[in-house]
Amino acid sequence: MLDVKDLTFRYPDTETTWRFTFHVDHGQCIAINGPSGSGKSTLLNLLAGFLTPESGTIRWEGDLLNNLAPWNRPVTSLFQEHNLFEHLDVQTNIGLGMHPGLRLSTEQKQTIVKGLASVGMAGFESRMPGDLSGGQRQRVALLRALLRDQPILLLDEPLTGLDAEARTQLRSLLLRHKAAGKVLVLASHDAEDRKILADKQLNL
Amino acid sequence: MLRRPLTLFAGIALPLLASSQGNETLTVYTHPSFAAEWGPGPGVKEAFEQHCSCTLEYVVLDSGGDILQRLRLEGNSTDADVVLGLDTGTMETARQTGLLAPHSIGLESLDLPVDWQDSLFVPYDWGYFAFVYDTEQLPNPPKSLEELVNAPEELQIIIQDPRTSSPGLGLLLWMKAVYGDQAGEKWQALSDNILTTTKSWSDGYFSLFMNGEAPMILSYSTSPAYHMAIDKTDRYQAAEFEEGHYMQVEVAALVEPSDQKALAREFLQFILTADFQRHIPLKNVMYPAIDLGDELPEVFDRLIQPDTTLFIDPAIVAEKRKPWLDEWLNAMIP
Amino acid sequence: MRQFPFRATQAPFSHPGWQIGPGLIIAGSLLALTIAGVAALLWQAQLPEMSELWQNRYLSNVIRFTVWQAILSTVLSLGLGLFIALALVRQPRFPGRNLLLRIMELSLVLPTIVAVSGLVGVYGRHGWLTSVVEHWTTVRWNLYGLNGIVLAHVFFNAPLAGRILLQALESVPAPRRRVASQLGLTGWWLWRILDWPAVRRVLPGIAALVFTLCFTSFAIVMTLGGGPASTTLEVAIYQSLRFEFDFGRAALLAIVQLTICGAIWLLMVRRGLSANLSPERRFSEAIPRPDSQGIVRFRDVVLLLCFTLFLLLPLAAILFRGLPGLVTVAVDGGNPLADLADATLRSFAIALPAGVFSVLSALLVLALATRGGTNLSRLSSVATAVPLMVPPIVLGTGLFLLFRPALGHSFQGLALVALINGLMALPFVTQLLKGPLTGLDEPTARQADQLGLLGWYRWRWLHWPRLKRPLALAMAYGTGLSLGDFGVIALFGTPGQPTVPVLLYQQLGSYRMELAAGTALWLVTLLLLVFAAFNLPGYRRKQRRHQHDALKTLAEARHA
Repeated sequence: MLDVKDLTFRYPDTETTWRFTFHVDHGQCIAINGPSGSGKSTLLNLLAGFLTPESGTIRWEGDLLNNLAPWNRPVTSLFQEHNLFEHLDVQTNIGLGMHPGLRLSTEQKQTIVKGLASVGMAGFESRMPGDLSGGQRQRVALLRALLRDQPILLLDEPLTGLDAEARTQLRSLLLRHKAAGKVLVLASHDAEDRKILADKQLNL
Repeated sequence: MLRRPLTLFAGIALPLLASSQGNETLTVYTHPSFAAEWGPGPGVKEAFEQHCSCTLEYVVLDSGGDILQRLRLEGNSTDADVVLGLDTGTMETARQTGLLAPHSIGLESLDLPVDWQDSLFVPYDWGYFAFVYDTEQLPNPPKSLEELVNAPEELQIIIQDPRTSSPGLGLLLWMKAVYGDQAGEKWQALSDNILTTTKSWSDGYFSLFMNGEAPMILSYSTSPAYHMAIDKTDRYQAAEFEEGHYMQVEVAALVEPSDQKALAREFLQFILTADFQRHIPLKNVMYPAIDLGDELPEVFDRLIQPDTTLFIDPAIVAEKRKPWLDEWLNAMIP
Repeated sequence: MRQFPFRATQAPFSHPGWQIGPGLIIAGSLLALTIAGVAALLWQAQLPEMSELWQNRYLSNVIRFTVWQAILSTVLSLGLGLFIALALVRQPRFPGRNLLLRIMELSLVLPTIVAVSGLVGVYGRHGWLTSVVEHWTTVRWNLYGLNGIVLAHVFFNAPLAGRILLQALESVPAPRRRVASQLGLTGWWLWRILDWPAVRRVLPGIAALVFTLCFTSFAIVMTLGGGPASTTLEVAIYQSLRFEFDFGRAALLAIVQLTICGAIWLLMVRRGLSANLSPERRFSEAIPRPDSQGIVRFRDVVLLLCFTLFLLLPLAAILFRGLPGLVTVAVDGGNPLADLADATLRSFAIALPAGVFSVLSALLVLALATRGGTNLSRLSSVATAVPLMVPPIVLGTGLFLLFRPALGHSFQGLALVALINGLMALPFVTQLLKGPLTGLDEPTARQADQLGLLGWYRWRWLHWPRLKRPLALAMAYGTGLSLGDFGVIALFGTPGQPTVPVLLYQQLGSYRMELAAGTALWLVTLLLLVFAAFNLPGYRRKQRRHQHDALKTLAEARHA
């Protein structure tokens, strides 16, 4: 269970203090709702460890995460864009999620090939991110998140700006994540996304 | 894959490591023009090593000033047995370091225009400072220092800075020897003829004079010997001045902390023999310190033969240097 | 699913100590060596009265002149460099672009005596250009004086400034350039939005670098200055140490020099850091700039042509002067040829390690700036500049006193020369690498953190691909500066075997003027080869990138 209690944060030189409290169980998706600037991204960055909270706790299965560096947290983030390293090809982008030194076994390499095929991108291994459409890029990023196999997925408007077909594809991929028992934290403007994916809501 | 470049590198680096194998090694601190392939260094080394069962090793430093500086810094731990390449401008400072030992050899064979009785320094060559001119640009050079000082502005000359160069200091002393207290005014009169004042002789000779920037440059009376003998051209000649020419003597000395004093004295003795001196005229382009007789190359007969030799006692130079430099600066900076 | 607590795969060298330690050691030793150098002098003598500085008319004149010519040279070099960089960024298809870039890189590393010979051949009393100008116009040009000093300084430094500024301008993020292109921004607004933010990051550093170079200039100032009225502090320091053995005065002047240059660096570093480090998500492609057409294009091309001539003519003068000598050596063979070949190998045996050393140290010191806090970052900027501010003669004396007991063998001496050459190149190399290394954009940095791309892995996957070209250029500068170095090697004393520049001076000392001119030409050729060789990998990659751009444009068109 992901348990966030009285987590507070204030940007330097501003008055507003954000405060978050919620919890999510395995296989559940929580949707964070609120207008732009209401702190959706801030919350996700706090969970990922990119920002440091003023007070409060983040616990996963009872263990405190607050003091862990981003690379030691059981989370994977997916943003609206800039998820891929532009100068590395598709398979390297995915592989770096499995081992940061890219030391992959033959099986792991095959997993990447199969994974790409499963999201309708067979044969894209050596393509550069710059050559892909927005939907394809998000699929690659999501595949990396899937193969990286962290229990918590932080989604910051991951489907915004994509066409209808790509959205449907990605949604079904996310549902697969959920069915596998992962925790999804979703920030999205889109009511349909929330309806299809979310099990509970957090209004900011 | 990596082995090849490594061997290649070793091939390049190892010759650098090549060091002496002799039973005794005599270390001589000297400057580049002496040790250069075309300088007297290699010939002298060969000749001396035939005399002794030893190895002669040069450590090459930028200039006479650097040799002295290095000696001072190293003090009693110095590797040097002999320093070669100090001149009349730096020898008094060298004497004051107390790091030099008496040479205790006879100087009777010396053939200098002045009487030399120094207990520390053995002259190995000498020359006159002179203005070298390009006969194609300047058919009628000034015949005296006075004429040069009063020359119209059209005549431009290159000199070296007395603060950083030996010939530069030489000219300062030359002016002082000729004009005494009037030197300041004469420098002022000369200043409109000076195209520029370079850091070193090389800068001026190579970058400016040989590029045709000015028809005349402060150099040595022996410079034309090289152009005549090796370049086979009479184009560059030295201008003879009525007042006489200032003399420079280059010297070697024994280093006090040396543990090879006997060998070092042998080398100093060797300096005053024909086996050493025959390398001086064309390779160092200076006058030999002893009478070489017929061995003196013919072109040396065609050099100017000043009637008067100007020379100020190095001890006085060492003492007056600073005020004389200040006088020069005040004259040159409007 | 992996079990928590999950530990990221431990990346080699990812411990913070590895990121800061080595850089700190290098930066610290640089400062320590400097202090040791000056302190060694003070230890040998007493500090003279400070009041001598302003009471002595000569010294106060020297200081005033030094500052004045350095400011003038810096302003002109930066101004010209900026115009050239802008013209080059506007005209990416300028026909001689690659050649011009190579010459721009070359001019900085030319040994002074060679460069001055070339400049005199063109702008001197009987130079080519002077003759043409004086034949056709009534203009009377005199190289010797402030003119010549500034001209030479601009010749050395404007290309350096232009080269670094160009790198900065080319790193403007593509989206921002696309927006500018669409909005059709020109003139002042384009400058405000696109160019100035990019330039602002590097300008203070370049200004400090060029100022220091001109402030400590020595042989150029004397040769072209005309007389003792043109004297820099460096001359006075040399004079005190070499001829007067007045260690106290030398130390005092060195401290003055360090104070002035150090103050400039601190000032610039503060400004440079406070400037917004614009996140660059780069691999920028050729996006046509709205202001690259018509009259502007014509103006740019004329400017670039003039600049090319400005740099090329002196090189041509060196070529014409040196060709007879070099041809003779090549045709006759024998000893001179063998000497030249040996000297060349020896030079590279020193210069290549020096280049590697300078690039490695620069990377380690820059790691301080990226990983450490503000103070460490400032320390790294100033420490790398220190080798420029200390007169070599003072640094040499200090190093000599420190290392002397360990200098058993001449090989160690040469290794030390390589080491010092590397340190001397550090300020330039740092400026070249600073932008690419510290400019990792936030999204990329966050991704990398989450994936555990730390230490060696971060370097391998994120920095190395972006740094290949700047690194190659930095290697070229490091190697080139060492290849052309005469000062350091002469300072430490060498056994008889010379490097190429030492050979050149030996030939000069023995009146071998034609041979020396040939050697000078050979040295310039070697330097040019070094820059060409180190630019090769980058060049090929750039070609491939153009292909990608084409594909990308297609992809974008499809999904627009």
